[in-house]
Amino acid sequence: MDHLDQLENDSIYIIREAYKEFKDIAMLWSIGKDSTTLLYLVRKAFYGHVPFPVLHLDTSYKFREIYTFRDTWAKQWHLNLVIARNKDALARKVRPDAGNKLTCCGELKTEALKQAIKEHGYRAILLGIRRDEHGIRAKERYFSPRNNQFQWDYKNQPAELWDLYKNNESAEEHIRVHPLLHWTELDIWRYIQREKIPIVDLYLAKNGKRYRSIGCEPCCSPVSSEADTVDKIVEELKTTSISERSGRAQDKERAYMMQKLRSMGYM
Amino acid sequence: MNDFPLKLVITGHVDHGKSTLIGRLLFDTGSLPDDKITEIRQICSALGKEFEFGYILDNLEEERDQGITIDTTQIFFSSKKRHYVIIDAPGHVEFIKNMITGASQADTAVIIIDAEEGIREQTKRHAFILGMLGIKKVIVLINKMDRVGYDQERFTSVKNAYLDFLNEIGLHAIQSIPISASNGDNVATGSSHISWYQGPTFLEALDSFEVPNSLKNAPLRFAVQDIYNFSKRIIAGKVVSGTLRQGDAVTVLPSGEKTQVRSLEEYLRNPDSAETGKCIGVMTTDKIFCDRGYIFSDPRDTPAITQQFRANIFWMDKISCKKGQQIIFRCSTQEANGKITAIHTVINSSTLELMGSDTDEIKNREVAQVTIRTDRPVIIEPHTKTPELGRFVLVTDNVSAGGIITEVLL
Amino acid sequence: MIVILAIDALEYNLVDRFNCTHLMQKNYGKTDISEFSEPRTMVLWSSFMTGKNLEEEILAKGDKEMWETHIDHARTFFSHFTSPAVIDLPGYNYDIMEHKREREILKHFFDVKTPEEKEQVKKEYNDRAFAFHRKIKDEFLSALRENHDLVLGYFSIADVIGHLNFGNTTLMKMIYRDLDEIAGSIPAPYIVLSDHGMEPIGMFGDHSRYGFWSSSEQDLGNPKITVFFDIMISGISSGSFKGDHS
Repeated sequence: MDHLDQLENDSIYIIREAYKEFKDIAMLWSIGKDSTTLLYLVRKAFYGHVPFPVLHLDTSYKFREIYTFRDTWAKQWHLNLVIARNKDALARKVRPDAGNKLTCCGELKTEALKQAIKEHGYRAILLGIRRDEHGIRAKERYFSPRNNQFQWDYKNQPAELWDLYKNNESAEEHIRVHPLLHWTELDIWRYIQREKIPIVDLYLAKNGKRYRSIGCEPCCSPVSSEADTVDKIVEELKTTSISERSGRAQDKERAYMMQKLRSMGYM
Repeated sequence: MNDFPLKLVITGHVDHGKSTLIGRLLFDTGSLPDDKITEIRQICSALGKEFEFGYILDNLEEERDQGITIDTTQIFFSSKKRHYVIIDAPGHVEFIKNMITGASQADTAVIIIDAEEGIREQTKRHAFILGMLGIKKVIVLINKMDRVGYDQERFTSVKNAYLDFLNEIGLHAIQSIPISASNGDNVATGSSHISWYQGPTFLEALDSFEVPNSLKNAPLRFAVQDIYNFSKRIIAGKVVSGTLRQGDAVTVLPSGEKTQVRSLEEYLRNPDSAETGKCIGVMTTDKIFCDRGYIFSDPRDTPAITQQFRANIFWMDKISCKKGQQIIFRCSTQEANGKITAIHTVINSSTLELMGSDTDEIKNREVAQVTIRTDRPVIIEPHTKTPELGRFVLVTDNVSAGGIITEVLL
Repeated sequence: MIVILAIDALEYNLVDRFNCTHLMQKNYGKTDISEFSEPRTMVLWSSFMTGKNLEEEILAKGDKEMWETHIDHARTFFSHFTSPAVIDLPGYNYDIMEHKREREILKHFFDVKTPEEKEQVKKEYNDRAFAFHRKIKDEFLSALRENHDLVLGYFSIADVIGHLNFGNTTLMKMIYRDLDEIAGSIPAPYIVLSDHGMEPIGMFGDHSRYGFWSSSEQDLGNPKITVFFDIMISGISSGSFKGDHS
């Protein structure tokens, strides 16, 4: 098995384990490249089927292209698509303005997820989170597999898993499963390239710009790029060192940091 | 060049020069990006300190992205002959935990001893622990030769004392090499200071180390994970030893039924073989009963089905283990209730001190040699034969321990 | 001699993770600074040296004036010592101009727009912080060789560098190692104390809401920063600081 085969193999094993151990399982699909890759792997694991619900956390601020892509493929792949929204927050017109970008994510996404889990009683959620993502996201993470269940974990898991076992203070009752943990951004794109996995065309360059990471329209900025095909994106990634979330997370981090430093009288 | 890296673990008393050795090895083999070394040099001068090779190792462990803790450090370097990865860990506890739980599996171990100080209690304990973790062959490095004037007699006396000890515990030193990590003597390059030594440098010794056989040709074992009935009945699982091929005759354990592999199933593909580590679906020629936890085996060499075995475990629960308490045993896709019926020896994983023999308790972070009895038969093998059927976790309310099977008792 | 290693923003989790044995000593833990509305450097150190929660008093001075606080010697526990040496402690005798300049460059970093400019400003900021750190280190090590009954060294490097570089673990680790070595070279019983810790925000570092303490003599539990005043005073009278350090 080559490198991608190995990653694919390990992810499929994790997905199958999660399905076996938690029958009330759902997966989160953000329609982005990572979770679409995850969805693709799920289909491979279950021989073309997706035997559990696929959750989309809809903040209502997504790009139009995302909604179109979602509906097309949900139909094509016969997905049991569940669209979750924090109706209350949306009614209060929560928006990602300058000061509250962090809290907006919290309310529209995290809360919506909590509500969906409560409503449907999911015991476990599959997510496409990767280990090499950085930014504020790194703090929010906590992992499954939970204590007594999975065998493969201590061979392939990063050690923060051990920290999780020790600091088991999670208030949430569900388990998060991360089959893509060991994949890097480049791995994902190379796999997309190899398997010809469909992706939202926002990732491809138009007029000298493309999105390296997609989410809600108000918070995403494109980067300069001429890569208008997956092949070119792979080439570009091999040579570039700009972090993936540069358009998004760094912006938020900077804004947050300035705010904090001001409140403490530094600036 | 061989594709898969040789995995090493480097042990020894903390002051005997491990960090310097690794830093030097990386530097001499050109395995580090220049800008990393430059950055470390710059920080050293910003702090007003001298640059030392030990800093390189110190910092390689850390990822640039914060918030990620790594227990297993993987340090890559290459000689002209092959790739290597040093499986290193910040302290004994992590190293033992990772080794025993399979997070890192070393092919060989290197033991460093300070020529000036000689053998410390810790040096002995390290060897003992290595033996417990399944490593039998080690390379001994006698370091800081510069501090003893590169004296041959000193080297010989330290070496002989240590070899005697290794003999006692059943370990075999394939090489004993005089080095100076800080000066670079005999690490990657030879030394004019040590003209009396005719053997290989450390790197040469590594290059000539024979990689143990992979599991490719080992007897077949396929562990059943789940059964799917989406459109046809597919047995999903993982090849944990050997190679699974279409047409193979297999014995289904624990039932003993015999059948043949009709086809290997992947989504939209039917490969004709699956190697060790591969997750694959199977369809059999006969309709046999099987469930998660079953093992398909080579009919000529089947693993043991037993309820009793000896193992070395690492207890990682704050609540101590009491002899005789109920635990859940999980190995590969199997799960069974059981008890630890005897605790033969207990060792503190930080100090490596012997805590007790034939005792009743194992505390948090202790390593113990135990006998385990399960309530129903499980399919297992010694860890040295089939790692995945020789490695397990013990669960109480959490994952309380990881362990490796040393002996199957029937 | 009793020594206090006052390290701004020393983070408990990193001391633990980097296994800084001299910073950890025999007993270590987190301090309780929950009584303060925000983990502000000036407020915390002023409260530390006087044994009282001075948040209101300090904040009343306003953002600009706050940094020029100068607590009267008589209010501090230093006044109970015969020959104290206090190096660069905020609110007492710290180098106002130097730290003001630091903050200006920090602000400048956020003001400039392009990545190249940011890198340049960051380098200027870092170089300056390190140069000052070397100076303080020298002063501290000198003071230890002199005949004082109290030596307090305040080190701001972890905080200053941390604000813009906390995500660079190579850098942070080497700084922590350096601080650990400084602690290791102290030839007397000592206490390590930080006002608050640091937590990551991407590449940046924000103040966390607990500080760090360590002592070779006693287990202090989860102390408030204001109790150190009493600990110091009672330590003198009980003579517990005269003995050998472990």
